[in-house]
Amino acid sequence: MRANVHVKDRVAIVGAGLTLFARRLLETPQELAWEAASRALDSAGLTLRDIDCVVIGSAVDAFDGVHMKGEYLADGAGGFSKPVIRVAVGGGTGVMVPITAWWHAASGLCKTVLAVGEEKMSHAYPHPQGVFAYIWHPILERPLGPNLIWIFALEMAKYMHECRVSKEDIALVSVKNKRNALDNPHAQAPANITVEDVLKSETLVWPVQLLDISPVSDGAAALVLARESVARKITDTPVWVEGVGFALDSSFWYNRDLSYPRYVEQAARMAYKMAGIERPWKEIDVAEPHDPFDYKELHNLEGLMLARRCEAPKLLREGYFERSGELPVSPSGGLLGMGNPIAASGVMKTAELFWQLRYEAGARQVKKSLHKAVANSWGDLMQAGTVIVLSR
Amino acid sequence: MNKRGSHGEVAHVEGEMEVEKYVYPPGTLGERVAEALLEGKLLGIKCGNDLLVPARPYCPDYGRGELVEVQGPWTVESYTIIYKDMRGERLKEPQVIALLKPEGAQGGLIHYLKAEKVFVGLKARPVFKPREERRGVLSDILYFIPVE
Amino acid sequence: MGIPGRYVKEEELKRMAGVIEYKPTAKYAYSAGQALSVFLKGLREGKIVGRTCNSCRRIMVPPREFCEYCHSPAGEWVELPGTGRVETASVSYISARRAKLREPEVVAIIRLDAPGYRGDEPDFPGIFHRLCGVTEEEVKGGKVFGARVRPRWRPEGERRGSITDIECFERW
Repeated sequence: MRANVHVKDRVAIVGAGLTLFARRLLETPQELAWEAASRALDSAGLTLRDIDCVVIGSAVDAFDGVHMKGEYLADGAGGFSKPVIRVAVGGGTGVMVPITAWWHAASGLCKTVLAVGEEKMSHAYPHPQGVFAYIWHPILERPLGPNLIWIFALEMAKYMHECRVSKEDIALVSVKNKRNALDNPHAQAPANITVEDVLKSETLVWPVQLLDISPVSDGAAALVLARESVARKITDTPVWVEGVGFALDSSFWYNRDLSYPRYVEQAARMAYKMAGIERPWKEIDVAEPHDPFDYKELHNLEGLMLARRCEAPKLLREGYFERSGELPVSPSGGLLGMGNPIAASGVMKTAELFWQLRYEAGARQVKKSLHKAVANSWGDLMQAGTVIVLSR
Repeated sequence: MNKRGSHGEVAHVEGEMEVEKYVYPPGTLGERVAEALLEGKLLGIKCGNDLLVPARPYCPDYGRGELVEVQGPWTVESYTIIYKDMRGERLKEPQVIALLKPEGAQGGLIHYLKAEKVFVGLKARPVFKPREERRGVLSDILYFIPVE
Repeated sequence: MGIPGRYVKEEELKRMAGVIEYKPTAKYAYSAGQALSVFLKGLREGKIVGRTCNSCRRIMVPPREFCEYCHSPAGEWVELPGTGRVETASVSYISARRAKLREPEVVAIIRLDAPGYRGDEPDFPGIFHRLCGVTEEEVKGGKVFGARVRPRWRPEGERRGSITDIECFERW
């Protein structure tokens, strides 16, 4: 089984760059985009003149209190006088950025694409939570006074109940990812913590506790993608985009079983089919699933078919997902360790896989041999799945 | 505001933006621009032979430019006269908003202009608030007035 | 070359020149649209009203004008008994703006009883609401999952055609 779409050109990632991820950065959104994009270009030995098209990702306009966030970011993202598009699918935006960049190049439209994800969550006071209120239905949900964490708590509780998973098991994700982040100089929340620490942290909306959640963050991440003929000239070690997939479920999130993210599976099946992967649990060597909350990593691993339904917690307990394990998961430190500037976070995860597959991840480098990798972003009202499969 | 739909009356529910406020740090470049404003100076950025105003963190080719003080005089490139505020209330007296371009620069600023006679090509200069009232933002400039 | 990005502390921001503060004043009037207006009218009358998809025959609560799965027009209206089972539940200790609540509140998804449904379908008519008369421990111990609940309606005179015309769902 191979591609289910007509691909004119094979596409590779040839450069990547990140800013620091932090609670509040001095830089403006444009400056963050520029810093990340400049680094990605430098790493590929290119300048902006070499770029044909620009893809921008930013999830939520209301974080900045501006409209037209794409246009607002375009100068910083290198979009001046170039074809520019901005994509936004909530938390799914991060991986949607390289996906969109991929089809710009795979279609033959652009030889090179600069792909930039940026989010600055610190503008809204007293807390970006207030702005998150706008994700709720204004008539059916907002009158109940919900906090954004409610929806995660309801999903996490359903997953725990359905799969008979304990809080201790889930807390191990936070422990692992924050520890992995100790090796990441861009990280906001690296730490050596224990399961006990997670269980003792403030309970916000049971079962969600403070250390179950990735911190809100400012930051940007960028990638350079190029069609094969160009990529081969830029580098001897291009990282190929083998498959992409994305799917959106209904916004009536309380009309369906939340114990399993079927939209992630749909997106994953699309990407694996394109990549010619039939047994992802055997073929994928390293993964960066979306982990805005610790249980989400397990949920996404199951949706990505890297574990059977309800099996991810057991594998985690056995050390399967450690950096030294059978299937290293979130070697970057994930969002729990890195911080979660929403649209930048999925670009960061893709960048991490790029570095891992090139053996350039330094102290974070997975030691076993790597061929294929998968990243996903998840978003909106338990709705959006975006998946990218890479290979070396 | 209720209307009839195909199943009877259509309901409405009211809502409001719940954010308390937005706080925008000036950015790395903005920090230097802000400090200059406190000193009563306006900065532009030199990219090759071009002077771009307002200053921005990077040049159009993505390179780092050099921050320079913008010298006057400023020329009125275009203007408009406003009679009502953003809520539609009539202003006590009309205000002139002008696009002002400094000599030899690309771009310019939009600001208030106070002049007996307003016309494109008018030469103007900024009038700053007293030093102690400045906060490093563009409203540290009260308005522009014609150069004698 | 260091990593770009300079962390700013809250106190530092207060002293910094060039900071702009801005308060939006955006007000909205959201139209409930056609189908939801019927639902809200039903709530005022103490009824939970759903709608059937003409194509896949599923019952939709909240009701819509079209079934998003089949993309076909919705058909007949059905009044449901309002009873159901707790699909999932959590305990909130914080308000919408993350302030600590004095009394925690229990929120849940209710899988509503509806003709033709067994109760284990992956898709179901449902409501997102509060639970009352349930302790934190019962939620944390998993005891409320699957519990039978019904709406506790506000007194007739206090109903306004809002989701809050139901005070909460309670066990029975």
